[in-house]
Amino acid sequence: MSISMALFSPPAPNLRTLLSSPRSLPKPRLTLKPSPSLMPKAPAFFAVSASSDNGAGAVPSSAVAVEEQGEPKVAVEPAKEPERENGSVASAPEEGAVAVAKFNDSRWVGGTWNLKQFQKDGSTDWDAVIDAEVRRRKWLEDNPESSSNDDPVVFDTSIIPWWAWMKRFHLPEAELLNGRAAMIGFFMAYLVDSLTGVGLVDQMGNFFCKTLLFIAVVGVLVIRKNEDVETIKKLIEETTFYDKQWQATWQDDNSGSSKNG
Amino acid sequence: MASQSLHHHFASLRLRTRQPLKPSPRPLTVAASKNPPLPGRKLRAAVIGGGPAGSSAAESLASGGVETFLFERSPSSAKPCGGAIPLCMLDEFDLPHSLVDRHVTEMRVISPSNITVDFGKTLRPHEFIAMLRREVLDSFLRSRAESRGAELITGLVTDLELPRSSSSPYVVHYTSGGSKRSLAVDVVVGADGANSRVAKSIGAGEYSYAIAFQERIRLPDEKMKYYENLAEMYLGDDVSPDFYAWVFPKCDHVAVGTGTVRSKREIKAYQRGIRERARPKIEGGQVIKVEAHPIPEHPRPVRVRGRVALVGDAAGYVTKCSGEGIYFAAKSGRMCGEGIVKASEGGARMVGEEDLRREYLRQWDDRYVSTYRVLDLLEKVFYGSNWGREAMVELCGGEYVQRVSLESYMYKRLVEGDRWEGVKMAASTVATLVRCKIMSGEMGRLKAIA
Repeated sequence: MSISMALFSPPAPNLRTLLSSPRSLPKPRLTLKPSPSLMPKAPAFFAVSASSDNGAGAVPSSAVAVEEQGEPKVAVEPAKEPERENGSVASAPEEGAVAVAKFNDSRWVGGTWNLKQFQKDGSTDWDAVIDAEVRRRKWLEDNPESSSNDDPVVFDTSIIPWWAWMKRFHLPEAELLNGRAAMIGFFMAYLVDSLTGVGLVDQMGNFFCKTLLFIAVVGVLVIRKNEDVETIKKLIEETTFYDKQWQATWQDDNSGSSKNG
Repeated sequence: MASQSLHHHFASLRLRTRQPLKPSPRPLTVAASKNPPLPGRKLRAAVIGGGPAGSSAAESLASGGVETFLFERSPSSAKPCGGAIPLCMLDEFDLPHSLVDRHVTEMRVISPSNITVDFGKTLRPHEFIAMLRREVLDSFLRSRAESRGAELITGLVTDLELPRSSSSPYVVHYTSGGSKRSLAVDVVVGADGANSRVAKSIGAGEYSYAIAFQERIRLPDEKMKYYENLAEMYLGDDVSPDFYAWVFPKCDHVAVGTGTVRSKREIKAYQRGIRERARPKIEGGQVIKVEAHPIPEHPRPVRVRGRVALVGDAAGYVTKCSGEGIYFAAKSGRMCGEGIVKASEGGARMVGEEDLRREYLRQWDDRYVSTYRVLDLLEKVFYGSNWGREAMVELCGGEYVQRVSLESYMYKRLVEGDRWEGVKMAASTVATLVRCKIMSGEMGRLKAIA
């Protein structure tokens, strides 16, 4: 449940820029995303120069051998860069020798992940599958590849069982929120008891207290960071914006109908 | 194939002397005809713009008995356009199948990470997406309007003079055949597209718009075979930050293009992106034409003012998510024309702003606002970010989703769905969005580490 709430309070600015400006004429400050073809690509495993998610300027990175799995990757050829940065509109100039970097991983077979290679202690290590797919998507986001009919991608995230997602993502956050709620709850119960003398059991019987409890629970679910308040306000405004544009013509001069005949 | 029959009517100066009309009535609550009857003449209507919207409006008006003038500045030009129309349009507008260049029966949707899904498994044998050339469709509709009695005027409308009082006419100033002319009419239908001059004259307000950019590429035969009945839709930040890029087959070439609202200056970069994404399939092709066009994103603040109504792109009736405009342009033109005919009782009476609002705007909004709203919601959720796009492609793999979306596109009505399937679809939508959002969070974390 808290994960689904995450949908409505995204930290990523791109959802926010979507919310705030899909309808305004483009102003330079809003085009946070440098177009991919103009981004310099550092020769790293994971081209960490900023992709569209954060909108930050290009971040140079040393070649980071980050993860423990150590999958072999094709190194990005620097020669790839001019191919993208040239304004040449003709179909890509290909010299036979230059290897265009494609996503490559020994476990990526036939357009999908070969689950047999993700075995750990006799059963599939779903966390590793998720990690691998995340890396693949990130790679492709930074180095878009042409889609070809010869090796189509057919991976579907729904093969990963639901409990793998729960265990890894939902439970830690649920633990956090429940912990916070419990701490606040204990303190408030103590405070109310000391101020009014009403014990915990009697507090729960009171309608006003129950309402406050309900508000607290909903509040914790919906507002988990300070930015969430702003995001929710923007969301509400956005969902009604389109509607307002449609109704605009009806708002028009009710008295002006006689003006122009 | 419809031939382009143009009749050049060089209208003589038609400024008539003031007719002694009664002043337009105060709004009454009684619905019986309160508009003054026109003495000895029919209602005169000018339709500015001869595209699908204008031609449909002119056809409805002329068939209904209104004296109609249809203005078109360049009848032979081919408008930049995707060129896809839904199945219902062929029926509703009696379009002969000979106009259709291609029957698209398969639509391929490709996610940012190249996950590919084939749309079209649920199409029945007689169902398809019709692709046609705009110049062919437009000239067919125009000549049909003409055969119903509309007078086609080839000329550029330069100004629309608003009446000084409620009984004076609108004066359309235009240049035709090198000379300046003008025409006095009672009612104006503005169907002159995204940069509507009529809209400017009545102060209809602005809208934000997307830029659609496309290149027409002639492919070698074996590559063209792949696109025989197949259209492709590409998603990703490399091809568009808030829309999709496409490869649509046309009569003997493909149209490769993309569009964007917020990053118009980078449109060329996005075009390079789509060329790159589709490279193996379009390599070796030859660019035969490059074109761009604005697409309105939402309706103008004012769509009816005085005795002027806007229809089609001029009003801003392009849907979000799919960017579909032809059907809604033609339908709005028709509804506006029919509304005017009804309010004027076959051209016998004058009409007023209230009539236009009641017979055209109210009917239109009641019928289609929910469609627009749903598509707006879909665009917001699924086009705004890479994870949303991945989620959309994954969802599009589901058969129920395909059936519902294709049927609502083709027939423009909400299909009677299986309730249980609907619930399942809603649940899997949420689940997919959650999964893809989590993945995107992980991607962001990877970036932060390194």
